Amino acid sequence: MKIKERNNETYGKVVKSRRIKVTLLDNPYRSDFPIFKRYPRLAYLDNAATTQRPKQVIDAITQFYSEENANIHRGIYDLSNHATSKYESVRKTVADFLGAGSATTIGFTKGTTESINVVARSFAQNQLKAGDNIVTTTMEHHANFLPWQVICEENEAELRVVEVSDRGDLVLEKLQEKLSDKTKLLAINHISNTLGTINQVKAIIDLAHEKNVPVLIDAAQSAAYYDLDVQELDCDFLVFSGHKIFGPFGTGVLFVKEQHIPEMRPYNYGGGMIKQVAVEGSSFATFPHNLEAGTPSIADIIALGAAIGYINDLDKEAIRNQLKELATYGAAKLTEIPEVEIVGSPQERSGIISFTVQDIHPHDVASFLNKDEIAVRAGMHCTQPLLHQLNVPSTVRASFSIYNSIEEIDRLYDSLIGLIEFWKDE
Amino acid sequence: MQSLYKQLILPENKSPYHFEKKEEFETVDAYNPMCGDKYSLYLSAEEVHFHGIGCAISKASTSLLIKEIEGKSKEEVVAFCKDFVEAVDKGETSRKFSEPLNVLISLKAFEGRVDCIQLSWKALLAHLENSK
Repeated sequence: MKIKERNNETYGKVVKSRRIKVTLLDNPYRSDFPIFKRYPRLAYLDNAATTQRPKQVIDAITQFYSEENANIHRGIYDLSNHATSKYESVRKTVADFLGAGSATTIGFTKGTTESINVVARSFAQNQLKAGDNIVTTTMEHHANFLPWQVICEENEAELRVVEVSDRGDLVLEKLQEKLSDKTKLLAINHISNTLGTINQVKAIIDLAHEKNVPVLIDAAQSAAYYDLDVQELDCDFLVFSGHKIFGPFGTGVLFVKEQHIPEMRPYNYGGGMIKQVAVEGSSFATFPHNLEAGTPSIADIIALGAAIGYINDLDKEAIRNQLKELATYGAAKLTEIPEVEIVGSPQERSGIISFTVQDIHPHDVASFLNKDEIAVRAGMHCTQPLLHQLNVPSTVRASFSIYNSIEEIDRLYDSLIGLIEFWKDE
Repeated sequence: MQSLYKQLILPENKSPYHFEKKEEFETVDAYNPMCGDKYSLYLSAEEVHFHGIGCAISKASTSLLIKEIEGKSKEEVVAFCKDFVEAVDKGETSRKFSEPLNVLISLKAFEGRVDCIQLSWKALLAHLENSK
């Protein structure tokens, strides 16, 4: 509750008065993240790739290995029982986080990529016949594109890809045109990892359901900051990664709507996912346990619970306003530089901005920003179909989180001006 | 880093050597799918040319590669490319390399850009070794 109070005292007030001055000094979250003690001047603007970790999450991992370490499910002793209970309690934490009701709808994976592959292999593949189709968009991360492309090829099905508008928005009519009675799944992101476009997921899900098409929502870029009520959204599958919501690497979540649970086949085979094993044949546990073969990353899942605890204590609306302000200010500030071009201008943008600098390759831009302790990502961001459609070879991407400030955007601006002058100077 | 850019990378990037398409020649594609850098190297008995897009470092490095290998035999090019790629991996400059190449090797200190330096060298090496 400490964090909420801080919001009200500092950040909340600032947002209400619209005088956004989220400087390094008064940002209420920055001190929660130990990395900024090590690098006080670090302008970490690569949050779409991974966020930093708050102390609670790091402590949860240390505590498990120092005081609670044992394997789960198979030990009849206190340490193991305690580890099992903590691990399984995170399933409930995640279910509550997503408004999912029952913890049995929540599976743990290694990340968004694996969660999507599970849906492709354990669900979609069994539904897909020759002549069927799967619908997705050009603005998906490769993780939400390649699994569908591959299973469509394998099953002689069609992958239908909706092109985004020049601004980087999904036009619902164009999506509607692609949906048919042969569509077995619609897979779409909530927020584009390259453009920051916020998709109208509720409207999209309703549209698909009119044609009885199940929908997978890739919430990798939204789970940290948006209220994702899967029952209200009525999505069929929802996936995200722990490491983009302040949690550990190698953790992911797969929500499966109850009606699809009987259709979820095992994903991989091994210990812990069986009902009975015999030489003549074996039978398997139901979802979620049928996809967690072998020993899971127990400490990391427990720390994912700590990350969700951290997020639950934040004022998400204030956070979203903060990100919006940072993105709006950032886009306006960067537009002041004639050599800079922002890629995409979606109607609703989250805290992600992609841009190019005239005559300077994004890699060179990132190297020079690094010299000024500004961390950004450069490249294609695993979205080649999107960049191909927009005819942009690669971009620089600045993506914000709760510990970022206006001051850091000003430093980004100054550093870019310095680079452009240096480049021209030669 | 700024001085290395100023000294070598930017001039080479702005005026790359033999930067034009020669599609009638034997072509080697150098592509980094992680970042999108893409060059075509055009080999002929007399001259080597290249064309494509990429960062200043990969472009400068490809330009220097082209300059260095013109006039060398296939075997010499293979040995030379191997030596250079290894030197970049180790970050060890050597008197057997020209000064500009040693500048590239010293850029190894900026981790994350090794792929940019080695892109065309590795592609050419793979091509020549596979076509033996």
